[in-house]
Amino acid sequence: MAQSSGKGSLKGKDLITIGIFSAIYFVINFIFMLMGGLHPMMWILMPGFIALLTGIPFMLMCSKVQKMGAVILMGTITGLIYFVTGMFTVVILVTFAASCILGEAVRSLSGYSTFKGNLLAFICFSLGMTGSPLPIWLMHDKFISQISEQGMPAEYITTLEKLSSPAMLLVLFLAPVIGAIAGSLISKKMFQKHFIKAGIV
Amino acid sequence: MKEKESVIKVLDPRTCLMLLIFANLITFFQSSIWIEVGWICFLGCIMLFMGQYRMAVKWIFTYGFILLLQYFLLPAAPKAITTAFTLLVNYSRRMFPCLMAGAFMIKVISLRQFILAMRKMRIPQNLIIPISVTIRYFPAIKEEVHYIRDAIKLRNIRSADKLEAIIVPLMISATATAEELSAAAVTRGIENPIRKTSVTEIKFRLPDYLYGFIGLLFTAGAFVIK
Repeated sequence: MAQSSGKGSLKGKDLITIGIFSAIYFVINFIFMLMGGLHPMMWILMPGFIALLTGIPFMLMCSKVQKMGAVILMGTITGLIYFVTGMFTVVILVTFAASCILGEAVRSLSGYSTFKGNLLAFICFSLGMTGSPLPIWLMHDKFISQISEQGMPAEYITTLEKLSSPAMLLVLFLAPVIGAIAGSLISKKMFQKHFIKAGIV
Repeated sequence: MKEKESVIKVLDPRTCLMLLIFANLITFFQSSIWIEVGWICFLGCIMLFMGQYRMAVKWIFTYGFILLLQYFLLPAAPKAITTAFTLLVNYSRRMFPCLMAGAFMIKVISLRQFILAMRKMRIPQNLIIPISVTIRYFPAIKEEVHYIRDAIKLRNIRSADKLEAIIVPLMISATATAEELSAAAVTRGIENPIRKTSVTEIKFRLPDYLYGFIGLLFTAGAFVIK
């Protein structure tokens, strides 16, 4: 298998692998995005949950495609699909792009194949989703009035008001870091338990 | 097979993409409800002109039902029901313009035409391939999960292990698919650097310009009217 070097450009096989794992990543991401509508707390913890569960597809993709561009492509695809379904705001676009570039840079510096490097890249990548609830803090009043105009139930909004403290902002950013670390460790375990045995990595 | 179709029933994939972007902008600006209703009707008309009668009726009725729920039924309903459903209704109404445009695009445009359109828009090949694979793989995920669930039922797996029992086979089958698909694609010359040709031809025709223009008007309207 030609997956040794970190320098070559992406070949057809790499692109297809990225496409398939992006699809899985997106589905998991989307499920939690919808669940975020149930309770504000779910929404704030959403990046963390997503990181926890997408660790396996992300790590598997990283081990399959040890080349430049994999993380950026995954992010771009997710972003584009979200854009066409009308669920993207400007804030998330910025955080998502920044986190993808950061993740790619970390991978490139760490030589693509080490677990620690991929873990760090995954943390960066997971932080991108924090852009979704971030407007609560960035433009607090405008945001609250906007979603109440959209007809969000009053209960949801009052809970959201209570949750929009600086401490919760810390939680918002810590959740994906913890989630990403846990997700990576789980995926490492899964690699040892299943994937290496099955001969797919 | 479909060569008899008249010119009016052929849309350029780029027009559909444009409509999707307009739908996005209209949702984003959140102007009056009338623009939204007009937009839904406009999409419904396009569906009718393109010969998608069942689809048009289905989407328009669903939208009408959601509006009915939001403005007449829910305010009158008991509070317990209201809180549970307001969110759902809101979400679906907010996503409706985009969903409708997206569903329409998926229905009338084949993936091949879509790839061709992306090529014409000079999107790099490195992005076109993964995107088309991703789009094509969504239905496959659904199928896989379905099969895996059946297998789980047969084997009586504890609910604590269920997540693992779903994710691991899904990952393994995804990897296998990636291998097979790449082998097939490489055989067909996906790595050939030469600019690819296609039998299908896409270009803007009268309906494309017309729909594009009307869509632009709606978007401008959504931007101006607050």
